[in-house]
Amino acid sequence: MKQRQTYLWRIFVTGTCFVLFGLSGLILGFFVLPATLLLPGGAARRRARMRALVQHAFRLFVDTMSGLGGVSYEFTGTERLGRPGQLIIANHPTLVDVVFIVAFTPAPACVVKAAIFSNLFTRWVVQAAGYIRNAPTQTMIEQANLALGSGDTLIMFPEGTRTRPGQSRHFHRGAASVAARSAVVLTPVYISVDQPLLHKSQPWYRVPRSRPHLSLRVGEDIDLAQYREMPPPRASRQLNAWLLAHYEAESGLASVYNEEQ
Amino acid sequence: MRTRDEVLEQITASLVELFEIEPARVTLAARLNEDLEIDSIDAVDLIDRLKRQTGHKISADDFRSVRTVGDLADAIHALVKA
Repeated sequence: MKQRQTYLWRIFVTGTCFVLFGLSGLILGFFVLPATLLLPGGAARRRARMRALVQHAFRLFVDTMSGLGGVSYEFTGTERLGRPGQLIIANHPTLVDVVFIVAFTPAPACVVKAAIFSNLFTRWVVQAAGYIRNAPTQTMIEQANLALGSGDTLIMFPEGTRTRPGQSRHFHRGAASVAARSAVVLTPVYISVDQPLLHKSQPWYRVPRSRPHLSLRVGEDIDLAQYREMPPPRASRQLNAWLLAHYEAESGLASVYNEEQ
Repeated sequence: MRTRDEVLEQITASLVELFEIEPARVTLAARLNEDLEIDSIDAVDLIDRLKRQTGHKISADDFRSVRTVGDLADAIHALVKA
């Protein structure tokens, strides 16, 4: 009985969080954004303010999700996030991965899928924050290189889209290409969740039987020296292959879900 | 870098050096994607290199309609002349 109650409660919390997320996007876009435009400072200052605003909003969102008992989480090594010219990469098992990473990274930029730029709830914020659209690829790579070159912290998900449980991992080469060319440091974040949570083939109300737990861990910076000495096409291929193997080794075990779900 | 032949020579050299493609495969009719297996990310690397070699500002947008090595030579040649 108790378990059934918490199950229903988590469905309620999850639904509430979706609504909150959408509303926050609209409030930030229609009220806060115009207000910040009135503050002094040029385009760069405005963008930085919007990024900081998104970070704090996401932090509040994370606190709400976990505070209401929708998820529990641990995130280690966050003090190493947010350095100038840092490219942060992460695997992508759940819908909320980016929310967690942004919440703990001072004023980051982020590569997000093009659909976010046309979604009514999110478009105003991602535009004002100067987030980078993932398509077309060439423009994305040029903008990512520019962002890192100007000292921004940038977040990318090499898997491109959320993975399904049991699906074999695939990394798009864009992140490796950007890393080899223009990252000052490349920092991996490993994400695992103890049961399928808001993954691609799961409707929002299909919450797990028990409260899901997210583990996020900031890994050691990846040494890029050897990739800087080879022609860029080879560097991006070798680095991508290395990253894929590295992620398999670091979080391969964690990506095996309880299949009975 | 003025004539189209010189541009072509430069492109061939870049393709050979960056992608280890045999020079004989670089013909005017060779399609970058299908024949030479250059994908959109490789194209960024190629454009970047040509940009540095020619000293001209080149952006990916200038190459939207480029399919073959010949198209690429024409596009670069037009930019360099301009």
